[in-house]
Amino acid sequence: METNDMRRLRILVVLPLYGGSLPVARFCVAALRELGHTAEPFEAPDFYSAYQALSRLKVTSDRLGYLQNSYLQTVSSAVQAKVESFEPDLVLALAQAPLTHQTLKRLKRDGVPTAMWFVEDFRLFTYWQSFAPFYDLFAVIQKSVFLEQLEAVGQPNALYLPLACHPDVHRPLELTPGERRKFGSKLSFMGAGYPNRRMAFRRFVGRDFKIWGTEWEGDHILEPLVQLSGARISSEDCVKIFNATDVNLNLHSSIQADRIVTGGDFVNPRTFELAGCGAFQVVDHRQLLPELFAPDELAVFHSVEEMVEMVDYYQGRPEERLDMARRSRKRALAEHTYAARMQALMEFAAERLNGWPKPKAAVGALADLPEDLARGVSALLERLNLPADASFEDAAHAVRSRSGILSELETTVLFLDEWRKQYG
Amino acid sequence: MQRHLIMQLARLGDLIQTKRLVLSVAREAEVHVCLDHSLVPVARRVYPNAVLHPIHAHKKPGISAGEAAAANMPVFAELRAESFDRVYNLNYSGLSFALSTLFDPDSVRGYRQVAGQRLRDRWCDLAFRWAKERRAAMNLSDFWAHFSRDPVPAAEVNPQASPKGGGLGVVMAGRHARRSLPPNVLAPIAAALWSAGGRNPLTLLGAAAERPAARALRKDLPPAADAAVTDFTGKTNLDELMDVVAGLDGVLTPDTGVMHLAAHLGVPVTAFFLSSAWAFETGPVGEGHVVWQAVAECAPCLESEPCPWDIACLRPFASREFLRLAVTMRPERAVDGLAGLRTAFDELGSTYEPFAGEAPQSEDRRRLREFLAFHLGRRDAPGAGAAVLANRVYCERDWMTRPRRTAPRRRMLRYGDE
Repeated sequence: METNDMRRLRILVVLPLYGGSLPVARFCVAALRELGHTAEPFEAPDFYSAYQALSRLKVTSDRLGYLQNSYLQTVSSAVQAKVESFEPDLVLALAQAPLTHQTLKRLKRDGVPTAMWFVEDFRLFTYWQSFAPFYDLFAVIQKSVFLEQLEAVGQPNALYLPLACHPDVHRPLELTPGERRKFGSKLSFMGAGYPNRRMAFRRFVGRDFKIWGTEWEGDHILEPLVQLSGARISSEDCVKIFNATDVNLNLHSSIQADRIVTGGDFVNPRTFELAGCGAFQVVDHRQLLPELFAPDELAVFHSVEEMVEMVDYYQGRPEERLDMARRSRKRALAEHTYAARMQALMEFAAERLNGWPKPKAAVGALADLPEDLARGVSALLERLNLPADASFEDAAHAVRSRSGILSELETTVLFLDEWRKQYG
Repeated sequence: MQRHLIMQLARLGDLIQTKRLVLSVAREAEVHVCLDHSLVPVARRVYPNAVLHPIHAHKKPGISAGEAAAANMPVFAELRAESFDRVYNLNYSGLSFALSTLFDPDSVRGYRQVAGQRLRDRWCDLAFRWAKERRAAMNLSDFWAHFSRDPVPAAEVNPQASPKGGGLGVVMAGRHARRSLPPNVLAPIAAALWSAGGRNPLTLLGAAAERPAARALRKDLPPAADAAVTDFTGKTNLDELMDVVAGLDGVLTPDTGVMHLAAHLGVPVTAFFLSSAWAFETGPVGEGHVVWQAVAECAPCLESEPCPWDIACLRPFASREFLRLAVTMRPERAVDGLAGLRTAFDELGSTYEPFAGEAPQSEDRRRLREFLAFHLGRRDAPGAGAAVLANRVYCERDWMTRPRRTAPRRRMLRYGDE
């Protein structure tokens, strides 16, 4: 039987080599799996150390550029190879994913749909103009002008898809006293030391204020407040910091020191993550924020003065903080999860891509199996966190990804998969 | 004593061509063989000391994929529980890759699958590269044997061939039709050799599917030869087939499992290799066999591709000149488009020496064999033309990375790994 089942898609998620979009990509993989799809990450970060090694060669910049581009072509060819073996319904790339023009053209030629979730500020990261036309779908975190500009460069399938939280990670935590001591404070900020933040946070020197994150070097006023010597903080520790802090500052970044609250359009991931944690935040006004959170769900400031006032106000009102944080968490869980974003993206793909997903022969994992084997496979599906009606192909894929010596049942599934390929 | 498993999931011919490896492994370990159920009768007799682990690896009527899988699972459990010290996985097939997941990947030689990634040993990698030029080939039996550290000499694998008194056997067809002589071409050859051999019994061998071909052959035989025929096509199981073949004076055959069976039993083989069949890849092993190898420009071809030349390599077999040559075996009667080859041995294993006509690219083949012998530590110098071969067979990955620890000791020494 052939179906074009939207519930059981195969999606290859191409991770970036490194950077801020990397955790977002991993959340996408987890969310797609949560939705019942078979999501496979392309682990581009594994290739990053070799890329970095090239930049330590001390060769001419021309030569370095050539080497880096050549290397990225190789990595991109690896994505192509992965596509050929995994046969996804969709290749989802996150910003900075190593997909070259050449690979994108080949994927288009081969009829493999591609989507980019460009979780960057299009005004700062302008390379989208060259790459956006090569994707079938282009999801962005900004609206209005950007959507028009995408249309102008030949990308008609643009989707506004704001960032989100991942409730399995961004959740309230019971912290140990030790963790509270280490990660807790009355006031904190977690993020990189952009110029506007450096200016704004001077107002809080002398308070129980902790700064976490990178790129705070050279700021003699704030440096004493920077924790762990400005080390990169893991996603897990971020959640602990959010949970352990009374008032979390959330000031969107800007490279302009003279305009601290920029009132820009997109909403950063931290907004959703803090909400998901049920942590209280004081956040700067953004044009797209009102449609994402109501005024009683977040404490929003429009100026530095208002930021300071709000911090002072809420620090003395734990009950109000708690109520507001509860409301923001409720909203985040209801509307702003990566699962919801992935669902929206899949629906958009179905709407815009003709005949997507392609019909495929759907054989249930348990179909045509003798009773004993069916029982075993059924239990295996459960252990693999696959739904009971998963296809045999998806079950085999999940087993194939397992490392180490497999059980006789797992090997039987792989053997049966190969048998069907060989003998039909 | 160590226990080693040899996984050979292919057909009859492949199972018997695994013999050199089985004998080599048996010198250092208890041998276990995983194979298709259907081949157990043969395996019991060819490998009497091996522990057999039959599974369903070949599709058969009346058994579904699910039933085959369910029946295999207890055997998989048994194989897994054995904790073999070494596993030789010989087939480049999805089924074999799947089966390799039962074992510690470090113990598996040949082909293995790790977390979904299919991997092959360096020895296999090299074979894929040199086999691009099929004429300069290595016998499959020797290729598999060299998965072991120190293979037994190829000359010790099968007994020297000698007539057994039961007349001439004729194998009607192999699995690939184009590689076999059609009845009207085969009949005069069979009749001529039957006559020259003393007009003893003439035994037709083959599966049930070959019955019509056997009937057609008999129509083309002279009455006296037909009167000597016993037609066993479709009438023997593997046990009975072995009994029949074991008593023959010789076997006329294309490249088939029965050919390898005859070589195992020491029954002289006269083989016809044409189309995709190439003696230097899959010829009979042992002293005293003859292969008539088609040497058309396009040989060996790919069976899966249509022949644009109307199977030109078949024509020499249909000539009157070939009948004279087949009977006399005299070099001066050589026929265009054919090479008469006799089985022989060198430091690497089985070779096929021309005695009538010329075998194409003998020099290339000799060089490749010398090159591989040096690679395997069986020669002290690489031989002429090694640089050209090294460029073709070795690649950057070989040079820049170390082979796995499970690679045979002598090769590891070559790479300075120990």
